[in-house]
Amino acid sequence: MNKKLVSAVLCGTMVLGAACPVFAGVADGKKIALVGKSAGNAFFEIAAASYKETVEAEGGTVDVVYPEAATADAQIKVLDNLISQDYDAICISANDVNALQAKMEEAMDAGIKVSSFDSAPNSDSRQVFVNQAGTVAVGQALMDAVLDIAGGEGQWAILSATSQAANQNAWIDAMKSIMESDEKYSKLELVEVAYGDDEPQKSIDQTSALLENYPDLKVICAPTTVGIAAAAKYLQDNESTCKLTGLGLPSEMIEYTGADDAHSCPYFYLWDMQGLGKLSAYATIALANEEITGALDETFTAGDLGEYTITTADDGGTEIVLGLPLQFNSDNIEEMAKLY
Amino acid sequence: MAGKSGRSINNVPESPIKKMLFSWEGILVIVFILVNIFCACFSEFYNLKSLLRQMPVYLAEVFLMLPMAYILVLGEIDISVGSIVCLCATMSCIVCNTGAPFVLVVITALVVGTLCGSVNGFILTRFQELPPMIVTLATQIIFRGIAEIILGSGGSISASNTDGFRLLAGKVGSVPYILFLVVIMAVIFAVILGKSTFGRRVYAIGTNRLTAYYSGIHVQKIRFIIYTVMGTISGLCALFIVSTSYGANTTTGNGFEMDAIAMAVFGGISSTGGKGNLAGGVISAFIIVCLRVGLGQRNVHAQVILLILGLLLIGAVALPNIIGQVKKAMKVKK
Repeated sequence: MNKKLVSAVLCGTMVLGAACPVFAGVADGKKIALVGKSAGNAFFEIAAASYKETVEAEGGTVDVVYPEAATADAQIKVLDNLISQDYDAICISANDVNALQAKMEEAMDAGIKVSSFDSAPNSDSRQVFVNQAGTVAVGQALMDAVLDIAGGEGQWAILSATSQAANQNAWIDAMKSIMESDEKYSKLELVEVAYGDDEPQKSIDQTSALLENYPDLKVICAPTTVGIAAAAKYLQDNESTCKLTGLGLPSEMIEYTGADDAHSCPYFYLWDMQGLGKLSAYATIALANEEITGALDETFTAGDLGEYTITTADDGGTEIVLGLPLQFNSDNIEEMAKLY
Repeated sequence: MAGKSGRSINNVPESPIKKMLFSWEGILVIVFILVNIFCACFSEFYNLKSLLRQMPVYLAEVFLMLPMAYILVLGEIDISVGSIVCLCATMSCIVCNTGAPFVLVVITALVVGTLCGSVNGFILTRFQELPPMIVTLATQIIFRGIAEIILGSGGSISASNTDGFRLLAGKVGSVPYILFLVVIMAVIFAVILGKSTFGRRVYAIGTNRLTAYYSGIHVQKIRFIIYTVMGTISGLCALFIVSTSYGANTTTGNGFEMDAIAMAVFGGISSTGGKGNLAGGVISAFIIVCLRVGLGQRNVHAQVILLILGLLLIGAVALPNIIGQVKKAMKVKK
């Protein structure tokens, strides 16, 4: 009886052992926490899913944790919880630049590797930040899109969100300085920066005002998801010859994207959230394995994404830049619209 | 005269041990023990050390519960405290950034809080027919509005010199200073409410304001003092909140008033006035702190934690009612 039991247990163990895939990943046994800004942000969840998938494929575990509200105070409570739980590494999208510093320092003192992506806390609160694309890279991509769609010359306008939005203004300033710095943009004329306040109706009103005031307008660039969707609908419904580009969500833009005259937007850009999640995952793993410390000029391999080097960020800390924003056109929009 | 024990469950037997066990505070102690056993089983990381380490963020709100209990015993409410915390935190950071000594920062927070509280008190005692809920709703918007204007477009400020705040967040061994302070303040507030003439007058006003007035109690003076102290304590809370984040922003103190009210009401302090004591409030505050830390350590979804706390609160308020009704039904059957 006893022997049978023992053999049965042994057999069971062997079967289980054989069934378990042998992990030889670089993140073997690492326990990692990913902290979001707040629950229910579809955009962040794409990156989080990609992050989790990458770490798990390398043999680690990821807990995605959201604070009770989109505030720094709520994230402090989350960090408190995480520090108690012996995590190897924490990656966070911060709700406030400075407020998390005390807790992040506490985490680092406890030996937890701390990195950030999507939204950075200050340089003292992190070892490294994984950035989608620098402000200049976004400005460059949009500027080249305007040049290309306008056919090298003519009037164009910007449809922004609000006049105080920091990221919008940074991109607009980048576009303006790029336009002045290179001779090839000299035949383009920026006629107006309009503000739709990220409200659909106001964005439509502003679009129609632009068309009335500037009948020869060739391109509108809207670096805001609300603005671009509203303008795309207006331009397409009115069969305007004015074309559109900017930053938008594929699922909202799918009806309006195409290279022919029937569509108002030939192509537009957005962050590559999947790529961002993946790169952040590899950066976290590299930190946890102590391959990197987040210091300037360190390099590491991010799986099939290739080799990355740590560079200086705008805030004086260090960052890893993924690359250019992702272009959405008639070739990939159907597939991407399912995600975003 | 109003009974000072919290919610009454039933006509309790006379034996003192049984009396203690059946009082609301007795039940809370049992719940507190159960919650701790549950958390220890639920989370492998739940122990005294991790509890003490995570406590300070929550303890800052326990300060608010103390004067809030007085206001609830008066039969009134103050929902502006979260905004006062925000304004005090903002002002203390601004003073800190001018390079002023830390003592001045502390004084700023307390003075700003006291001023805000006295504004509430002034309006409520000068225009007695105005409901406290509406007045403090208005000041809630005003105080946070002022803070937002001061904070400007960025919406946040950080203290450039964090030494003083680091000192506040300090510890003796692994016990944070704030825990000592909370205990000391709780004892002071409880003794004044439970043992002093002032406390008895507060209960009298909460039970029947008109009777209290005709008995010669300075109703308006007492109300003014309590609302002002509420403001001062909000300033104290703000200092500890800043010491966890070295800064303030437009969302600082959001919802603190409701947390404080929830702790007090869960502790058996009736929001209709005249009932409850601070022992219950303090125990319930620690039940909530332990539960939040324990559940949080297993990364339970934040909204689920809030849901559990909400159910607990409803249960606590409804329990005496339910038991009463069951008893009635049983009597009818007999």
